[in-house]
Amino acid sequence: MADLAIDVRDLTKTYRTPLARRKVEALRGVTFSVERGHIFGFVGPNGAGKTTAIRTLMGLIRPTSGSARILGHTIPSREARFKVGFLPEAPYFYDYLTVGELLDLAGRLFGLSASVRKQRAGQLIARVGLERAQSQSLKKFSKGMLQRAGLAQALMNDPELVVLDEPMSGLDPIGRKEVRDLIVELRDQGKTVFFSTHILTDVEAITDQVAIIARGQLQAHGTPYELVKRTILGIDVMIRLPAEGEPGDLTTGADRVRRHGDELSLTLPADADVDAWIARAHAAGAKIVQVSPRHETLEDLFLREVASADAPKEART
Amino acid sequence: MIGRIWAIALNTFREAARIRVLYGILVLVVGANLLAVVLGEMVTNEQARVARDVGITGISLFGSLTAIFLGVFLLYTEVQRRTIHAIVAKPIERWEFVVGKYLGMVLVLTVLVALFAVAMVAMLLIQDFGVSTAVLKAVVLAWFEVLTVAAIAIFFSSFSTPFMSGIFALAMWGFGRVTPDIEAASRDAAPWIRTLTKITLEIVPDLHLFAVSGRSIDGEHVSVHADLVSWGYVAMASLHGLGWIVGLLAFAALLFHRRDFV
Repeated sequence: MADLAIDVRDLTKTYRTPLARRKVEALRGVTFSVERGHIFGFVGPNGAGKTTAIRTLMGLIRPTSGSARILGHTIPSREARFKVGFLPEAPYFYDYLTVGELLDLAGRLFGLSASVRKQRAGQLIARVGLERAQSQSLKKFSKGMLQRAGLAQALMNDPELVVLDEPMSGLDPIGRKEVRDLIVELRDQGKTVFFSTHILTDVEAITDQVAIIARGQLQAHGTPYELVKRTILGIDVMIRLPAEGEPGDLTTGADRVRRHGDELSLTLPADADVDAWIARAHAAGAKIVQVSPRHETLEDLFLREVASADAPKEART
Repeated sequence: MIGRIWAIALNTFREAARIRVLYGILVLVVGANLLAVVLGEMVTNEQARVARDVGITGISLFGSLTAIFLGVFLLYTEVQRRTIHAIVAKPIERWEFVVGKYLGMVLVLTVLVALFAVAMVAMLLIQDFGVSTAVLKAVVLAWFEVLTVAAIAIFFSSFSTPFMSGIFALAMWGFGRVTPDIEAASRDAAPWIRTLTKITLEIVPDLHLFAVSGRSIDGEHVSVHADLVSWGYVAMASLHGLGWIVGLLAFAALLFHRRDFV
């Protein structure tokens, strides 16, 4: 327990619509844990319950049942909030403030002294690349700049745990890479980073642990290595055909066949006799460029888990 | 705790100071004072009384309307725009946030009442009517009325939309202003109406206490034209207002504490 940054047990959140009083189950018995010093990716399609779970952890929403502990404190905990940095989804800050004033306000709420506030604000503004926009009010910031300002205010208290709700949202590819680098840098400093996203390449690139949520229920939880099936799904092959050469029967039974000039890419079935196929390719005058096994990816897993979560509903309709 | 509440209060002051409607209200108050000059000319030998009464009424009326406007919007917009998400995720208690928002409003309303009073005093001095302590007492009473109305508005805003909060706050303000008239009107009514009126008067702040000019207090007619009320009365009325402010903020904080920010 002591080395867990977040420990969530059977968390549920049920809303009732205002007039019809219809039940909406946003979270249905979610259980997972996040080890300290890890990067944890919380993945799910839109409306899966990611933001509800995060807002519950941050004390914005009261759970209907279940429990959660952050850094050893049962939520909602003021003690825990001293050690946590939070970036809300699509953050909206007081648009009449400059980024420096926003960080100063955040620092005041953490009880930091004026000198510490000034020093940290300067460092963080530089870290997120907003030095040139220091004199502008947040009203003039682009979505990406607001996201950076939000990241800076989340780090103002030098937190042990950083909770980021869709931190890559609204960022261009360069901005996304910078945020990914920042997350890794925070982990290297010994901090725990918990972030939600539906961008799977970001998750695969940097996370130590992943949880997939769909329809308010946790579908999978573990390291990316544990989660994806290590069995071979197929064999990816790339060959170079001789000039004016045709693949002939080399594509028989293959999948994902693509040809670019004299290069031919395809995927053989997992149980294919690769040696025999390579021998036939050589006989046809082709040169082997690449042969590699295809494993399940996080995207495959994600699509499978989301589809299985949707299955009961489809069965009913 | 003080630092966090002060941070929210200062931020609220900055936010409210950007609302252009407030500057329009300031112009209206100056206009009301000019109107008092015109009305005074129409009433022989009563120019000074009219100028003072209209000036004080202007502070009370426009101050209270501003308090309702700010009270119903400032807390609501924090939730609606989700600016509150990044705030309450920090180590601030929700009651500290509510108190901070209220104190920010107090700062704004105090500045406004001071400006209204300056405008009124300037008009009185220009017309050579003089300014007595009676005027000062009336301004202090009007200031406490405005602060009480702000607490009413923030209370309703803690669980309702601006439209509904505005309706409730306006109704409570209007009702609180005429408590003696309602009491008098119910004297000859059916017993159940008298009981209902009595209960209602208990749950509505007696704002009539703050608007004394031209009324009968303890059997004596008081007016800003003469001595008005004693400082003891001002203190008693202010304590009454303070009690309601603390109570309303406590309920607002309790309701705000239970809210989900989705």
